[in-house]
Formats: sequence, structure tokens, C-alpha cells
Amino acid sequence: MRITKILMMLLLASVTAALAASPVQSAQQRYLHVKVNNPRTHELVRVNLPLTLAEKVIPAINHGQLQNGKVQVAGLAANQANLKMILEALKSAPEGEFVTVQEPDSNVRVAKEHGQMIVHVIDKGKEKVDVTIPWEVAQALASETNEDELNVEAAVKALESAGDVTLVTVTSQDENVRVWIDSRSSGE
Amino acid sequence: MIFLAKLGMGLAGTVLVGGAALCSEGFIQVKVHEKQPGGTNVALIVPAAIAPIALKFVPSGHLAEASANMRPYLPLLDAAIPALEESPDGVLVEVIDPEEHVVIAKAGGSIVVDVNDRDDIVHVAVPLRAAQSSLHEIADSGGPI
Repeated sequence: MRITKILMMLLLASVTAALAASPVQSAQQRYLHVKVNNPRTHELVRVNLPLTLAEKVIPAINHGQLQNGKVQVAGLAANQANLKMILEALKSAPEGEFVTVQEPDSNVRVAKEHGQMIVHVIDKGKEKVDVTIPWEVAQALASETNEDELNVEAAVKALESAGDVTLVTVTSQDENVRVWIDSRSSGE
Repeated sequence: MIFLAKLGMGLAGTVLVGGAALCSEGFIQVKVHEKQPGGTNVALIVPAAIAPIALKFVPSGHLAEASANMRPYLPLLDAAIPALEESPDGVLVEVIDPEEHVVIAKAGGSIVVDVNDRDDIVHVAVPLRAAQSSLHEIADSGGPI
């Protein structure tokens, strides 16, 4: 009996030590998924990228417009009103539609809905684009930047705490693209 | 006799430790199956620890172009590979078209590439740590960075 008790205590101690030594993942892994399919050529591309991987890789990319986690966008600051100011104004504005442009060959709608910035673009006869950006991500894009930069690194970090959301949907005759965030490793 | 037994045990121990060291970084697996009748089947399993060492014996001229192409991307690879090691296993990229099916996945500390096209089925698995050492070896073959 005494030996059994000692063995049980040793087993319990070793299991406890093993659990304490192993890395604890308190937060579920978040994934950035991209799916591109071409109904004409029957091509399908799926990408499932852990956000933690993207966070570590993006600052290391120094190529073209993307340098040190920030992307240069020429002409981003227009008429001396920078992106940060625009986002601050939009954040405090009530929900609703801000911009609607209807032209013979395209419709554009920019709105604020459920704490997210929504952009709908319909290029009649060609493609339809929907972009949904959580506010925290939009603000992160404009954080710690010059006027013509977007902080992609900070935006990716902000995506970690955003809920499951479809960020981009593009539908056209040639291809359909969907970009979304969730906690599943395999996407759809 | 006792001396011989001790010698044998020492040798066996050395072989075991050497084998363990050689296998400590996992194995590089390469399998190629050619689909046409009479096609070649290749199955190769090599301790990954050998790869960086083997690259040292490759004449630097043969690796010059690869070295030059790789150097600008070394910081990116040095950031990506450890991050990939820490990431959970799963499919990273999948490409399906009428001609081929390509899957790039992370499984058990290795990066695994599976290609199935009209002519071949190819499976390559490379432990990430060995991949990083080998890529550095290739980059260094072009001279000091």
C-alpha cells in the first residue's frame, strides 16, 4: 500500500512537472485563409497561414514597397488630410453610409457597420469586391506611420484579436477570391 | 575476453551515440514515382544532419548562382523557419488544377511537399532545422556575407 501511494505520488508529480514544462497556449491559434478559384480553368489555390507566422515574417520582408512591416502607398495623404485624421473622424461618426458613388459602369459604397469599415465595389459586368475591415485593424494600419505608409505589421497583430471575419471577397467571371480569419487550420 | 567485451561495448555505445546524433535532426525523405509503365521509383531517406555537411563538399562554383539568389532572402528565411517550427501542423498551401495537385504542409517539424501530376507523384519532407542550416550553407558558399 505504501509503495503504491509513493508510486502514485511520483506519477502525479511527473505529470504536473510535464504540464508545467510544456508551453501553454492560452490563446487559440488564428489563421489567415486565402482561397482563389477560377471556374473557367478549374484552378483552386488555398493558403492557410498562422497569424503568428505572418507577424514574424512581415517585419523581415524588405522588398519593393514593403519595408520593415510597413508598405509605402504613394499619394495616401491627399490634400493635407492624413489617414489617421480620417480614421479618427470616422471612428467617432455614427454608423451608416458615408460615401455612395453610382456611375453607369460601377457602384461604390463605403459605410460603417457593426464597428467595421465596409467597402462595396461593383464593377458592372466585371467584378464585385467587398472589403470588411474591423476598426482596430484600420487604426493599426495607420499607427506609427508616416503619411504615405500603412503599418501592415500592426494590422496583422490587430487581426489576432479580431473575431472570425471575412476581410475580402472578390467575385468575377474569371476568378473568385475570399480572404478570411478564423481559428481553423484547414480553412473551409 | 573481458577486455574484448568492454571494447565491444564501447564501440557499440559509440555507434549508438553517433547514430543518435546523426538522427537527431530528423530525416530528409524523397519519394518519386513515375506513372508511366516501367517508370522509375525512387525512395530516399537520409539523416537531415548530413545535408549541411554534404553541402560543404560541393564545389562552391556549383552553388554560386543559388548563393547569390538566396542571400537577399536570408533574413526572411531566418525569421520564417523558426516561426514555422513553432506553428501547429497543417496544410499551408494547396494548389489544384486539372494538371496537378500540390500540397505544402508542415508536419512534425518538417516541411512536406507533395506533388501529384500527370507524370509523377513526388513526396519531399525536409526537417525545418536542417533546411535552415542547409540554406545558410548554400548562402555562405558564395563567400562571407
